[in-house]
Amino acid sequence: MGATSKLLLIFLLLAGGVGSVFVVVALSTRQPIEDQTEMHRRGYAVRSKWFLFVTLFLLAAFVATLPFFPYLSRVTAQGPALRVPVIAQQFTFIMPSHLPLKQRIIFEVTSRDVNHNFGIYNSKGELIAQTQAMPDYVNNLEVTFQKSGRYTVRCLEYCGVGHALMEKEFTVGGY
Amino acid sequence: MISTNDSAGRNVMKLYLAFGLIIAAVMMLVGLTMRMAQAQWLSIPPDVFYELLTLHGAGMIIALVVCAMGGLWFLMRRRISLSAPLAVAAWALLMLGVAGVVISVVFGHYAGLYTFLYPLPFIGSWPGWATGVFLIGMMLINIGWMIWCFQILGAVLRAYGGLRGALGWNFVWCPKAFAAAGHEPPPPEAFPAVVAGLDGLITGMVAMLLGVALLVRWIDPRVLIDPLWAKNLTYLYMHALANLIIYMLAAFIYVGLSYVTKREYHTSKVFVIAWWSSLVFILTNYFHHLYMDVSSQPQILQYFGELSSYLTAIPVTAVTVFGALMLVWRSRTRWTLGAVFMYSGLIGWVVGGIGAEIDASVPFNLHLHNTLWVPAHFHTYLLGGCLLFVMGWVFLLLESRSEHSTSKLMRSLIFTLSFGGMVVFLLGFYFGGATGVPRRYDTQPLPGPLIAQFATIGVIIMLLGFTLAFFEGLRLRSGFSADRMLWPQNLRDDIS
Repeated sequence: MGATSKLLLIFLLLAGGVGSVFVVVALSTRQPIEDQTEMHRRGYAVRSKWFLFVTLFLLAAFVATLPFFPYLSRVTAQGPALRVPVIAQQFTFIMPSHLPLKQRIIFEVTSRDVNHNFGIYNSKGELIAQTQAMPDYVNNLEVTFQKSGRYTVRCLEYCGVGHALMEKEFTVGGY
Repeated sequence: MISTNDSAGRNVMKLYLAFGLIIAAVMMLVGLTMRMAQAQWLSIPPDVFYELLTLHGAGMIIALVVCAMGGLWFLMRRRISLSAPLAVAAWALLMLGVAGVVISVVFGHYAGLYTFLYPLPFIGSWPGWATGVFLIGMMLINIGWMIWCFQILGAVLRAYGGLRGALGWNFVWCPKAFAAAGHEPPPPEAFPAVVAGLDGLITGMVAMLLGVALLVRWIDPRVLIDPLWAKNLTYLYMHALANLIIYMLAAFIYVGLSYVTKREYHTSKVFVIAWWSSLVFILTNYFHHLYMDVSSQPQILQYFGELSSYLTAIPVTAVTVFGALMLVWRSRTRWTLGAVFMYSGLIGWVVGGIGAEIDASVPFNLHLHNTLWVPAHFHTYLLGGCLLFVMGWVFLLLESRSEHSTSKLMRSLIFTLSFGGMVVFLLGFYFGGATGVPRRYDTQPLPGPLIAQFATIGVIIMLLGFTLAFFEGLRLRSGFSADRMLWPQNLRDDIS
């Protein structure tokens, strides 16, 4: 199961949980009516715990995601790597058609006209990395290809009526 | 003191709601057309597809903003002095702007989309005049919106003792002195009004700055704008506007759910602090739109963007939604169509929020950014949240004055078709996003077309439900009685 499939599963479970809570609360209106003051007393006690749980969970999630941020430090960005310039323009990418396997690559992505996006899909159609291609700026995207094969770059930022046609294929390793 | 007989106020609300819902209905048909094209059941040239996408994006946001403006304005006018002619003038400017957008798209074939990134609109396949008319149209819409914000913010500040009073500052920090002086905090619906007014004006002025810069560039192509500066301003404005819709519609929950549950939604200290945090987070969340500017955007803003996006969930889930569930819990709720729509809208808000939080996580955004996951989450909270709140509100108004009532069979049919179709439609976006299908593609790579076919069936089922709801609304309208109460003016009487 790919990373995004797991995300979808987590999302569906959470959405199902939310839906279930709402159904239970809606069905509670069939029970005898509860006085609002009493309901407030019990409800506020539950809310305090819920507030604490949500806050701690979100802060923990923030800390847990930090190591996976793709932003290169100044030192990392200057480390040994194959630097591959990529120029995006309506409606193509100018870049090499073959890249090495298991070598640290830093794509230096920019644009010649409007905003584009440099999204790399593997042969299974999974989106494995991306960055914006913006005129006047260069974005450094670090990728190390672990599998040889055919990869496709697609534009993921709307750039004009030929947007959906803007793609480029390249191969990795001894493919 | 709540005003009990305000036909001018009601007419202004009807004006806003009617045009908002008409635009929304037309834009849903435009959306259906696009999804059918992506499903390869309809052949549309790319330029026409992107013209439709431009109309759909601009139209839907404007439609829902207009509905929220009309509803919140009316709720506040029950309590404070608001000029009806000024509200009509703001509406007229909005409609003039909409006309500009329609002209630029229909006659000028502008296809740069609603949320465009500079310098796109100047390097497109459409004529330069279309870009100019589109920009002017959008600026007129923004001016209308800012007039509304200015009016409601000014009135709220005057009525509740300036910014300190309207934000409930003394109510939270000096509660004993506040109570001893015989003061009462503003009602719950005043907080969406003050937040919309403040954040709407701040981001509206930012949009005017960007709009003027773009107009100068349109007049003189030698003038250059920094693309990253323009991108930041674009997302600050667009994100805040889309966010504010649902925060404004929270006022419908405070008043509408109180009505159907026969309970009152109180202004508490926790409630006030929650709105203070929303006031800030609405302005700071937009950084998550720039996560993929991996080297150009300052890194500290990327970290701040994720933290802010996460924390924004706390006031929504722990206060507004939790408070709404407390209202319903073991209450005397009558599950009319209005109540069902309004309650279901809360699910859309929370579920759409979960989708948004996943996308707002930087490591996940690497795989989901600008895939169909993005329209998935915003359709969940705009269609499954905001539109259902508006429909719930309209039905509560109709039901309160009609001698007719909706049969159980009809309620079940409308709910099953609308909600069931909506779920199928939205799942299409989520599955598309999880399989990496890019958004804003007229022709999608596999498995996009197959998913679009399921989604299209979902849209058709949902629209059948909405059509039934429309005719049921007309039937309720035909049963209006002059003797029935003029809800929601006398809500307090009804609760007691």
